[in-house]
Amino acid sequence: MIMLNRSDTPTPAKDLLFNIPEMKFLKLGNGIDISIVHKEKLPIVYAEIIVFSGSRFDPSDKKGLGYLTSLLMDEGAGEFDALQLSEEFEKLGSVFSVSADHDTTILSILSLTENFERSLELISKIVLKPRFEEKDFQREKKKVLDRILQLKDEPSFIASSAFERRVFGDSYYGFPEIGSAESVARISNDDVKDFFVRTFTSSNAKIVAAGNLKETEIVNLFDKYFNEWNSSSDNNQYFKTPGRNKTSYYFIHKSDSAQSEIRIGHISKKRDANDFIPTKIMNTILGGQFSSRINSNLREKRGFTYGANSSFHYYKETGLFEISTAVNIENTGEAIIEILKELNGIREHISDEEINFAKSYLIKQFPSRFETLNQIAKNLESLLIHSLPIDELTNYTNKVKSATNEEVRASAINNVLPDELVIVAVGDRKKVFEQLKQISGAEPIELDMYGNLLT
Amino acid sequence: MTTKNLLKIDYEKYSLSNGLQVILYPDLSVPVAAVNLWYRVGSANERNGKTGFAHLFEHMMFQGSQNVPKEGHFKFIQEAGGSLNGSTSFERTNYYETVPANYLELALWLESDRMGFMLPGLNQEKLDNQKDVVMNERRQRYENQPYGLAWEKLFSNLFSQDHPYSWPTIGWMEDIIKFELDDVKKFFEKYYSPGNASLVIGGNFDRSNAQYLVEKYFGEINGTAPIQEVIATKQSLDKSKKIIYEDNVQLPRIYLAWHTVKAFHEHDAVLDLLSDILTSSKNSRLYKSLVFEKQIAQDISSFQYSGKLDGSFIIASTAKPGITLEKIKDEITKGIDELISKGITENELMKAKNNIKSSYIFSLQKIDLITDHINHYNFYLDEPDSFLFDLSRYEQVTREQIIHAAQKFLTKPNLELNIIPKTM
Repeated sequence: MIMLNRSDTPTPAKDLLFNIPEMKFLKLGNGIDISIVHKEKLPIVYAEIIVFSGSRFDPSDKKGLGYLTSLLMDEGAGEFDALQLSEEFEKLGSVFSVSADHDTTILSILSLTENFERSLELISKIVLKPRFEEKDFQREKKKVLDRILQLKDEPSFIASSAFERRVFGDSYYGFPEIGSAESVARISNDDVKDFFVRTFTSSNAKIVAAGNLKETEIVNLFDKYFNEWNSSSDNNQYFKTPGRNKTSYYFIHKSDSAQSEIRIGHISKKRDANDFIPTKIMNTILGGQFSSRINSNLREKRGFTYGANSSFHYYKETGLFEISTAVNIENTGEAIIEILKELNGIREHISDEEINFAKSYLIKQFPSRFETLNQIAKNLESLLIHSLPIDELTNYTNKVKSATNEEVRASAINNVLPDELVIVAVGDRKKVFEQLKQISGAEPIELDMYGNLLT
Repeated sequence: MTTKNLLKIDYEKYSLSNGLQVILYPDLSVPVAAVNLWYRVGSANERNGKTGFAHLFEHMMFQGSQNVPKEGHFKFIQEAGGSLNGSTSFERTNYYETVPANYLELALWLESDRMGFMLPGLNQEKLDNQKDVVMNERRQRYENQPYGLAWEKLFSNLFSQDHPYSWPTIGWMEDIIKFELDDVKKFFEKYYSPGNASLVIGGNFDRSNAQYLVEKYFGEINGTAPIQEVIATKQSLDKSKKIIYEDNVQLPRIYLAWHTVKAFHEHDAVLDLLSDILTSSKNSRLYKSLVFEKQIAQDISSFQYSGKLDGSFIIASTAKPGITLEKIKDEITKGIDELISKGITENELMKAKNNIKSSYIFSLQKIDLITDHINHYNFYLDEPDSFLFDLSRYEQVTREQIIHAAQKFLTKPNLELNIIPKTM
C-alpha cells in the first residue's frame, strides 16, 4: 500500500530536451525563397505558397476584389475546367485550399507523400494558367453577394468588422476582406484578371514546406513545375497608420439577440516592435488564456459569459489590441465596466507570481507548437510575413526567460490604453443603449451594421 | 511505411482492482504525454426535466476538488505548458490534458483527485457560477447563432419524447436553471467511479513508471456498482413530418433527416461514404447539381450521425434568394433517386475512400487525437487497436452497398425542418 499525501502537488520529472526541427532556407531557380523542414514519421507533406496579394490592393470602390480573385483562382486552370480541376484533387485525397486576408493570399496543400508531386503540378496550373472564365466568375460573385447577405445574421462578424472599421478608419484594414454588396456588385471579371496579374507575382511570393521529403526533392519538384513563374510587380501599397481617439462607445442594433457581442480595443504596434515579448507575457496575464484576469473575472467569477479574451493581432503594417466576448444581454454594461477595470488594473499592478506563471506557460508550451506539419509551417509563415529573423523562433524561449518584470509592467503602460478605446456592443437597442448610457463618461453612438455612423 | 504498419497501435490494456480500465500507448517520438479519460456517461443518461446535467457536470469538474482549488486544474496544467479540456456527447464525457512529458504525474494527480475526491471541493457558489456560464454557452453557441437551434429541433422531433437522443446535450434552458447541489452530488456518486471510466495515456513515457503512477493515484479510489446500460426503443417514422421554425436568418434552410443505424453497424460506414458522394466536394452529386450547376442553393452538406443507441442521416441546404425550399427538396430527392436508379461509378467510390484514408493519416499527427481515438474504439468496440479495422470498414464497401443503403434508408419517411426568416 502506497501512502499518498494528495495535498502535495507532484513535481515534474527531469526536463526533456527539445530541439526545434531544423529549418533550411533555400532559393528556387526563379529566385523564390523557400523554407523547408524535413519531418519523417508520417508519409505526408504540407506546403504553402504565400503571396503578398491581399485585399490591401483592392481599389477603394471595389472592396472584395482580392477575396473574390482568391475564390476564382482554382475555378479551372490549364486543360481543366472548374469541375475537372477539383476532380483531380479529389482523386488524390489531397486537401488543397486558397485563403486570403488583407496582407496575403495563401495556397496550401496537405497531401500523402506519394501524391505530392501530382498535387504540386495541379497547383502550378492554378498559378500559371488560371482560366478565369466568365460563367465561373458570375457564379462565384453571386455566391459572395449571397454570403454578404447572410453575414447580417452573424452578430460576431458584425461586431468584429464594425470594431475594425472604427479602429482603422478608411485605411484598408478597416474593411472586411469579403467587401460589401455595393462594392462587390461593381467588380467585373476583367478586374479579377487584372488583380491577379498585378499582384499574384513570383516576386511577391514565398514558399514554406514541411514533411516527409528531402529538401532537395522538394526544391526539385518546385523547380520542375514553377520555373516559368517569373513575374514581378510593385509591392508598395501606401499605409498611413490611423491615429487613436478618446474612448468612444458604439452600439449596433440587432433585434431579439440573446447576448451582446462586445469588442474593445485600439490600434497597436507592429509585430517587429521591440517589446513584443514583454507584451506577449503581459497579455497572457491579462486575457491570453483561460486563467487570465479577464476570463477569470467575467466567466469564473461573474458568470457573464462562456468566455472572454484579449489578444494582440499582427498585420503586416500595423497591430490591433482587441478584447472579445459575448455576454448575457442583461450584463452588457457591467461586463464593459469590468473589462475597463481590468485594463486599468493591468497598468497598475502585475505581481511577480503572475509573470512567472505566464513565462512558464509560454516557454513550456513552445514544443507543442511544432507537433503538426501545419503548425511548423505556420511558425515559418509568421517569420516571412513580418520579415523577422529566424532568431525569433530559435531564441524564443531565451527571450521569454530574459524579459524583466519591469519590461512586462512597462508593456502594459505602453500598449494598453484605456483612454483611447473603441468600444462596440452588438445587441438589442433597448437593452444595450440603456446600459451603455449608465457607464460614467459614455455617450453611446449608434452605428449601422458596417460600422458607419448613423446620421 | 505501409498504411498497415502506420495504423497498428502497440498498446497495453489492463484494469485496476477498482475497475478502472487503463490503456498505455507509448510513442517516444513526441515530446509530450497525452492523458485522455472517458467516463461512460452523457446526456443519454439523463431524463426529461433534468436535461443538460452531464454537460453541466463536465463544467463542475473544472471547479476544483479536495486538493485542487477552483481554477486550479487549468492553472497547474497551463503553468506546465499543457493544454486541456473536456467535452460531453450523448453517451460519454471526456477529459484530456496534453503536457510536456515530464509533467505526466501532475496530470494524473489532477484527474485522480477529481475522480476520487471531488465532492469536498463543491459548493453552491461554484454551481451557481457555472449554471450562468452554461446558460451563456447555450446562448452563444445555439440561441444567438443563425440556424443555431436546428440540431435540437431535429432531434427532439425525430426521436420520441422518452428517447435519450430527443434532448440536446447542453440541455433545455428551463432545466439548466433548476439544477441543485444535491443533483450534482448524486450524479457524481452514480457515474464518476473508476469502474465507469477508461484512462488512455499516450506519448513519451516509460511503461512501468506509468503503471506505477496510475496505481499510485487511482488505485485507492473506491469502485462502485456497475451502471446499467441505457436502453432505448427502436425508432421509426410512419409518415413524413414537417416542422417550420422562424429565426433571425436572411435565407431559408431545409434539413431532411432519416432514421438510420447506430455506430459501427454494418451500414454505418456505407452511409458515411454515401454522404461523401452526395455533398463533400465540387463534383459530389448534390453539390454539383444544386450549388454549381443550377445555382439554387448557397450550400449543401450531409452526414451520418451515429451513436451507441441509434443514428440518423441528415442533409442540410440553404436556398439562394428567391428559391423555395420546396424546389431545393425536389432537387435533393431527384439526386437521391438518380443515384438509386442509375448507380454510382467506381471513380466516385474511389474518391470517397481516398478522402477518408487521407484524412485518417493526417489525423495521426496529433497525439491527443490518437489517444481520444483509442478511447473511442475501446468504448464502442472494446478493442483499442481498431484503426486498421475502422479503415477497412470503408475500404471494403462496394457500389452496390451504397445504392442499397440509399434505397433502404433515404426513401423512407423523413423529418423535414424548414428554418425561415421571421415574418415581421
